Amino acid sequence: MMSDHQIIEGCAKHDRKAQQVLYDKYSRLLLGICLRYSNDKAEAEDILQESFLKIFINIKDFSGTGSFIGWLRKVAVNTSITHYHKNLKFRYHVEIDEYVSVETGVTSFEEDFFTSDELYKVLNELPAGYRMVFNLYAIEGYKHKEIAELLGIDTNTSKSQYSRAKAVIRQKLEKLDKLKKSYSAGD
Amino acid sequence: MKGKKEDKDLRELFRQKLENAEVIPSPSVSTVLMRRLGRNEFLHFNPARFNIWYLGGIVAAGAALAIILSSRSGNNDTIQPQQPASEINEIVNSDNLISAPEQPVLQNADENNKNTVITDRKPGVIQSEVDNNLKGGMNNAIRGNNNVSPAGVTGTMPKNGLFRESIADKDKLQSGYRADGCLIESSVTEGCPPLRVKFSSKAGSNGTCRWTFGDGGYSNETDPEWIFDVEGEYEVTLNVFDSNKLLSVSSIIITVRPKPKALFEISPENAIIPIDEIRFLNFSSGAVKFRWDFGDGNYSELYEPVHSYNKFDKYNVHLVVFSEYGCSDSLIVMNAFAGSGYFIKFPNAFIPNPTGPSGGYYSTKSDEAAQVFHPVQSGVADYQLKIFSKLGILIFESNDVNIGWDGYFKGQLSESGVYIWKVRGNFINGEPFTKMGDVTLLKN
Repeated sequence: MMSDHQIIEGCAKHDRKAQQVLYDKYSRLLLGICLRYSNDKAEAEDILQESFLKIFINIKDFSGTGSFIGWLRKVAVNTSITHYHKNLKFRYHVEIDEYVSVETGVTSFEEDFFTSDELYKVLNELPAGYRMVFNLYAIEGYKHKEIAELLGIDTNTSKSQYSRAKAVIRQKLEKLDKLKKSYSAGD
Repeated sequence: MKGKKEDKDLRELFRQKLENAEVIPSPSVSTVLMRRLGRNEFLHFNPARFNIWYLGGIVAAGAALAIILSSRSGNNDTIQPQQPASEINEIVNSDNLISAPEQPVLQNADENNKNTVITDRKPGVIQSEVDNNLKGGMNNAIRGNNNVSPAGVTGTMPKNGLFRESIADKDKLQSGYRADGCLIESSVTEGCPPLRVKFSSKAGSNGTCRWTFGDGGYSNETDPEWIFDVEGEYEVTLNVFDSNKLLSVSSIIITVRPKPKALFEISPENAIIPIDEIRFLNFSSGAVKFRWDFGDGNYSELYEPVHSYNKFDKYNVHLVVFSEYGCSDSLIVMNAFAGSGYFIKFPNAFIPNPTGPSGGYYSTKSDEAAQVFHPVQSGVADYQLKIFSKLGILIFESNDVNIGWDGYFKGQLSESGVYIWKVRGNFINGEPFTKMGDVTLLKN
């Protein structure tokens, strides 16, 4: 088993074996990140490929200080953002009235009630703009100001996109919640 | 405060579940990635690995070598103009051949040629040529047409180089020969694939014919017909024999021009006819001229035309492309807009014209001010629209999709507010639809 340090050294020398080990070790985690930013798994795998290309090519730029996983994550997130920008014009526009009225009945969700698959699905179905902001803010923990810079939007847009994203997610989760409860009640 | 807490809950939920979630990628991702990585590294310089810089270096070195060598051999040619002499010799020899048919043609001509050259040469010159030959095989290939090497050296020379050159010599010979009577007649000498060529031999009944067509095919007929499927230049050769004696050799070149490829896509996909402007994206290759038939009686010769259809129908879009040599290819998309664009949609507000009822006639262009409540649709065959007030009174009904509601009821402009509409009908393909919703009547 190679340590991260050995892997990095190997990859910097373009050693195929080290690259393979790096891929085997981290591809699942990075795909987990990419999937949050995409419409489906195929798109996520595209982003994953791009990310690994960047990682392999730029690995000598990784300073060695700070966490390696953190660096990998950052590359994946940045690649996702680039991908989003590139495909912006191909996204379908979302009709406004789909999201006009959002009622909030349930206030909190039990953590174990939803599987990660279901949460992925909720994210995948979000409009791309909402998804970017939600991911960056809620999961990656960026500030709205940073997000605004990354996405090239206004800070206020980021904030409002985030709150709308939340509302939509909440609505979807409630629907899912009801559905699941009705199933379990029926059993 | 409650909002803050809710927000935190949601964030926690996603963070806990997804921050470190792992998803297993498909196996193909890794293979494609490695292939892309290989290509990428090939394009970047790395002293430890073969890459494009090395390849470029090798190509450049090879080209430089070739230039040096070819310029040197060119000099030799001008200094010692022996080529014509050898040709004359060859002609004489091929005449002799007829009396000595047991020997294969090419080889014999070749050897004779060499012999004559060697006798012409001074020994010192031959020595220097041998040196050159020892330096590298490339030398031979480039300079082969001098055929200066003595018999002893020939064995070490690459056969290909010599052989090819001797064919070239034979060509020159025959182009001279043809002037006073090539025995081949062909219906065409160039054209588009598949090119059908009728050959005939002018040798008449003197002897038997043996044709080779340059693509591996041959025939023993006197007047064969041959089809060339693939682009390229083919040397068609006719050998005429008379009871095993070779009487004559003739050849001509048949040029088969490359065929263009017609290819296009329709943008947008699932276009809505007749609303969308259709752009035809041209992916054809090898073509210089284009002819589009949009299927509605309109044509275009533009590279990438844009066309609007007047009504929804079955259209066969047909593209014919022509290469610079006039070769053509075509692509037809039958019923190009099938199944696409059947829809009906309604707005959720409109502003009636306050000056009086219009009768509800509209067109998508004339009603930019949204004075008539009407659908945007495509492919609607029949249709019934009903509009009710909030109290449930039917205030408008239309069976014509081209007539919407102008906002007037019994000649009076209706109150502003919400009205309910319901529509049912069928699309052209027989699919029924039913929709309902509300519309807000606004006043300026």
